[in-house]
Amino acid sequence: MTEPIIEVQGLRKTFRVTERQEGLAATLRSFVRRHRRDVNAVAGITFRIEAGEVVGFLGPNGAGKTTTLKMLSGLLYPTAGEAHVLGFVPWRRENAYLQQMTLLMGNRTQLVWDIPAADSFRVLQEIYRVPEHSFRKTLGELTDLLELQELVHKPVRNLSLGERMKVEFAAGLIQSPRVAFLDEPTIGLDISMQVRIRGFVAEYNRRTGATILLTSHYMDDVVALCRRVIVIHHGQLLYDGPLADLAERMAPYKIITATLRDGAAATADLAAYGTVTARDEGRVTLKVERQIAPERAARLVNELGDNLADISVEDPPIEEVIDRVFSEERVGAAT
Amino acid sequence: MRYLRLLAIFFRTELAYELEYRTNLALELLQMVVIITTSVGAVLVLFNYTTVLNGWDLGAMLVLLGCFYLVQGFGELVLQPSFEKFMEHVRLGTLDFVLLKPASAQFLVTLRHFQVVQLAQMGLGAVVVIAGLPRVSTLGPAEAAGFAVALVCGFTLIYALLLALSTFAFWFVRIDNLMAIYWSFLDAGRFPVDIYPGWLRVTLSTAVPVGVAVTVPALAISGRLDVAGLGLLVVGTVAAFFLASWFWRLGLRSYTGASA
Repeated sequence: MTEPIIEVQGLRKTFRVTERQEGLAATLRSFVRRHRRDVNAVAGITFRIEAGEVVGFLGPNGAGKTTTLKMLSGLLYPTAGEAHVLGFVPWRRENAYLQQMTLLMGNRTQLVWDIPAADSFRVLQEIYRVPEHSFRKTLGELTDLLELQELVHKPVRNLSLGERMKVEFAAGLIQSPRVAFLDEPTIGLDISMQVRIRGFVAEYNRRTGATILLTSHYMDDVVALCRRVIVIHHGQLLYDGPLADLAERMAPYKIITATLRDGAAATADLAAYGTVTARDEGRVTLKVERQIAPERAARLVNELGDNLADISVEDPPIEEVIDRVFSEERVGAAT
Repeated sequence: MRYLRLLAIFFRTELAYELEYRTNLALELLQMVVIITTSVGAVLVLFNYTTVLNGWDLGAMLVLLGCFYLVQGFGELVLQPSFEKFMEHVRLGTLDFVLLKPASAQFLVTLRHFQVVQLAQMGLGAVVVIAGLPRVSTLGPAEAAGFAVALVCGFTLIYALLLALSTFAFWFVRIDNLMAIYWSFLDAGRFPVDIYPGWLRVTLSTAVPVGVAVTVPALAISGRLDVAGLGLLVVGTVAAFFLASWFWRLGLRSYTGASA
């Protein structure tokens, strides 16, 4: 096997935070004597990512996703543990490493507001020492993929949020990085812009073979882009594996949807087959334990006979699985 | 060399931006001319009643005033806009992007933004220096070289001070007031540092080296600075620069959580 692009071993980050109660008295007390508490933002995680992978990094707010990305990009020093990206220790912030990576944050901009993006691109070209022909080629490709033609000559402040994000992507990729960390790249964008950004990321990965680690609250991003997901919660790794297996591992039930014919719809009681979670006209949705789902489905077909118009057995929607994982707060690696 | 190219490209992009607002540019230029003319006028009026102010005659005072506008112009040309942006970066968290660039973060932060129009202030300052020169002792190559060295030291001292001050933004985030105090101290550099009472003179020469940054170049060009004085200035400036850079890196470490 080839060397992994990203290798993380027991990575840990503890923040020391000052706590105080609300109110003036508490504020004064806190001023004199701080009450500090250690928070484990990342509590020892281990994983490796191979070249060219697009991996979804999932977790609720405060799970430690951004902290991990910041450590991997070199902005934060870990409290303990090791990480190598492209063979470099990220937090040493060697130029040779920074030259080959990018961190894009959906809620922050690196472009200068008052000037057109084209000018910022030139500044970035100089900072990254991109030769003129590569610069033109990369920018040309990015311009095509992201449809930037008119956008780059307007001052950034005049762009819409979606337009700005597209230009932001171009700015982050001008040096043709081999590793890209994308932190909520579609946050706040409308559906059609989300779809286009997703399409761009997938195409960019296909064309350049860049390794991408992506966090997002939109499961659609993850479903569209990532075959593999890493799930963390309270700073601990809960799951690392194919997205397709996440449901099987994390949600021990299946969803059976039975559509009944007109006559039977009103009377049929399907509670005997599983937990009825929804009922809409003739469509009944049942939650059934994973192991017995095929047998229940077969019974439904047999016993309802002609009254059954249609039946399907599916994994629960990925949002539901994720939500279940986070609300149960199960802790312990399941790799 | 690479950093000079970067400076040039920073400068070009900001120039393009300022040229877009022509009216604003014209008004700023006008304002500058008015301010500098009145302060030269004030010195001329003052010297109607006296010929010498604590050893400074009219020519020397004009040279000093010119140096003041050179130094202040430099501060407003690049330092003020860059440091203001730096504090904004800290507040908004966008400093992250700067730290992830394969180049000196200190350079990228502190010399990144320009108010190109302030070049005019430096130009006017140079004119005032030249206007005062014929009245002071003859200008030889030694004085010219001394002046150049002293002026570069002056710029560097101002830079070092601002760098040290702005470093507090890493811990306190909002330090606009601190910077405002600094700019008002800079105003005191308008007069020779040795006319001030002892405590203020010491402050303006050490803690806030504005007095030194302006007065010493003026002394150098009017031939009143010896080699030892110039040497002292150079050593002090180099020390101040490295001390401030060290302090900045210390602040940066706390920003990125290296100490945690």
